[in-house]
Amino acid sequence: MSISDATQAVSEELAARDDMIVCEGVDKWYGDFQALKGVTATVKEREVVVVLGPSGSGKSTWIRTINRLEVHQGGRILVDGVELTNDTRNIEQIRSEVGMVFQSFNLFPHLTVMDNITLAPRWVRKQSRPDAEAKAMELLDRVGIPEQALKFPGQLSGGQQQRVAIARSLAMEPRVMLFDEPTSALDPEMISEVLDVMKDLARGGMTMMVVTHEMGFAREVADRIIFMESGEIVEVGTPQHFFESPSEDRTKLFLSQIL
Amino acid sequence: MWGAGTRFQLPTAVFARNTHVNEDAVVTTTETSSSSLIATQQERVPLYRNTTVIKWVLQVIVLALVIFAGWFFGQQAADNLAQKGVQFDFDFININQGFDIAFGIDANPDTGGRALWVGMVNTIRLALAAIIVASILGVVLGVSRLSNNWIANRVSSIIIETLRNIPLLVQIFIWVVVFQQFGRLEADTPARLGGLLFTSARGVSIPRIFAADGFYQWLIWVLIGAVVARFVYKNRVAVRDATGNDTFAGPVAAGVVLLFALIGWFAHRIWGFLEVPLQAISDAWGSVPQSIVQILLSVLAIGGSALWIKRFLDARRTPAGLAKLTDDDYFRIVFSVLSAVVALVFFWVIWPGLSSWIVNSGSDFWQVAADKFGTDNQGNERTGGPFGFAMPDVVPNERNPNIVQYNLEALTLPIEFMAIFSALTLYTAVFIAEIVRGGILAVPKGQTEAADAIGLSRLQALRFIILPQAFRVSLPPLGNQYLNLTKNTSLAIAALYTDVYVVGNTVINQSGRVLSVFLIWMAFYLTLSLIISVVVNFFNVRLAIVER
Repeated sequence: MSISDATQAVSEELAARDDMIVCEGVDKWYGDFQALKGVTATVKEREVVVVLGPSGSGKSTWIRTINRLEVHQGGRILVDGVELTNDTRNIEQIRSEVGMVFQSFNLFPHLTVMDNITLAPRWVRKQSRPDAEAKAMELLDRVGIPEQALKFPGQLSGGQQQRVAIARSLAMEPRVMLFDEPTSALDPEMISEVLDVMKDLARGGMTMMVVTHEMGFAREVADRIIFMESGEIVEVGTPQHFFESPSEDRTKLFLSQIL
Repeated sequence: MWGAGTRFQLPTAVFARNTHVNEDAVVTTTETSSSSLIATQQERVPLYRNTTVIKWVLQVIVLALVIFAGWFFGQQAADNLAQKGVQFDFDFININQGFDIAFGIDANPDTGGRALWVGMVNTIRLALAAIIVASILGVVLGVSRLSNNWIANRVSSIIIETLRNIPLLVQIFIWVVVFQQFGRLEADTPARLGGLLFTSARGVSIPRIFAADGFYQWLIWVLIGAVVARFVYKNRVAVRDATGNDTFAGPVAAGVVLLFALIGWFAHRIWGFLEVPLQAISDAWGSVPQSIVQILLSVLAIGGSALWIKRFLDARRTPAGLAKLTDDDYFRIVFSVLSAVVALVFFWVIWPGLSSWIVNSGSDFWQVAADKFGTDNQGNERTGGPFGFAMPDVVPNERNPNIVQYNLEALTLPIEFMAIFSALTLYTAVFIAEIVRGGILAVPKGQTEAADAIGLSRLQALRFIILPQAFRVSLPPLGNQYLNLTKNTSLAIAALYTDVYVVGNTVINQSGRVLSVFLIWMAFYLTLSLIISVVVNFFNVRLAIVER
């Protein structure tokens, strides 16, 4: 089977699924610098999309507009059919359905791992403490660090902290997970433990958007790769297509620099 | 082989404290030569290179130097003072110094000690009032400087930058001049704010709520309410944890206290019977022989020291046995024993009268407590409510109807107090504002983003994430500002407010005991500062973020 056949097959299967994230002509300015220039893309249900691109290309800005950490100034963003507007109810609804993992973990240093994970379920989802804690232990088990439940973030290694951060997001039972360079702040030997958790999550059918520089992860896990440069989407395709026969010159240049 | 046998004696003796280490060495090394090698290395360390010996010798030398320096300078000072004819004693504490104090809890103190106490109370009142108001004002200013509201932001910036950059002493003088603009108190001095406020050269008079007849009996109800509220609070929290619904634990608990306060307002009289047992406690306390108290104090000192050492050793205990104690650990134990010895000497030799003082003041304390219950001083049943309320007013003087004065029941703040209070409060508030602003800014942006990303509302993010972390950062510098404020109260002399410094100066003029009053000042300010430090540290330790 040729590469183009494979691309076609995936696309047809994907096209049949529901839309999870829809971006239509999203614009974003910082002062007079335009960070996003009419970004248009759709992420399907249970799809894993990896966003690649050189630094400053707007990858992080884009993924941060999807749960309103950055406000977009033009175009439309819909998550699971709900449009992001100035309506706080829409924003809160989308935020509780979209999990986000940050480059610098952003765990709450004054709360234990358990409290970090159960805070939002208890106060936003109104779960009881025993329920929330049982769920948290389940998640900690899944990310492989159940024994750290009562420690504080400062007592954990970087990899462990990032796994707690993933568990914290999963505790809200999100329908989408956004990863903003989740392994960039980690020591090399800790990267794989976080990537393993993410692969596990992808296999479990989670809709994921991942900004990363881990090409191995992109090649292995991604359904589609989106390549961005200067605030624009340059190329979209399957990993095979992207890594083996990219059509755009800018993509080729990027790949030649990193591979 | 002879070498191993004889040499081994020395290291085990020297390092008796970590015997198990040496035993391990013996057990694990089958080769005698290697164990003798260890022994040889230990044996050869000369005393002047042995860290243990060095540490102990240095410690003893420093202690000796400190004692010597203290003795030397004390002796010199005593000699010089004696040459100049300056006397050093504390007799003035019990002698009438013959001066009046313009404001305070006692206008004509009958002894020097009483006069100093009036000054101390004035200082504490000033510091406490200024700390409370400066904190509130500081938080408001700090938050508004961060706000997006352009006017609030600019106004607080201007206030902060102005007040922060003018010396405190200058500000005090400015406020003195401001308050000196008030006119003489006349019979027709107008009431302001619908009768709530009078201003004149006599000061600012405002309404006062004060503890009345039934206050302490009512307080018993409130205390019971607080205990009940504690249980209710815990129960509410447990219900919330079990069901996930917010049960408003805080407001419900506050409601319980209020309910008890309300019941107590009408039912406070039922606690009148407490007069009898309190009186009995007072009598019993007063009849304890002095020697018994002395023995109890000694037991307390020895027991306290022993308990401290036991706790200390417990803290050093690990599952594998007692951890090796460092030299500093030994210093601590030695000083714990030493302080018990010093305490014993103090109780039995230096001030044996301490015991009878404890007996008398303890008895007095319970006597005063007993007097608050049952019948009042005139033998009447306590019928009034727990609180009294007085409005400010201008009334004729009792002795000389030609002059007028403020209603004595209302709260009158003399202009001297208002000047120093305004200056201290505003000056400290702007520094607190900067600390609050810094504390909030010190919480990384990522924390807010993470709180947003997991779906917390703005208020929940503030309550659970931002404020707890901002408070941790702000607390130590905040404590510093409270200390600064407390020490700055001694500038009250610029406004002629009779704080402990002003009163102490008068006592020096009257009695000539410069050194004694200096020592009292030092002890007083030191105690005040230490109390603030202890309170701030208590919260600081409790709030510390655990790392590693």
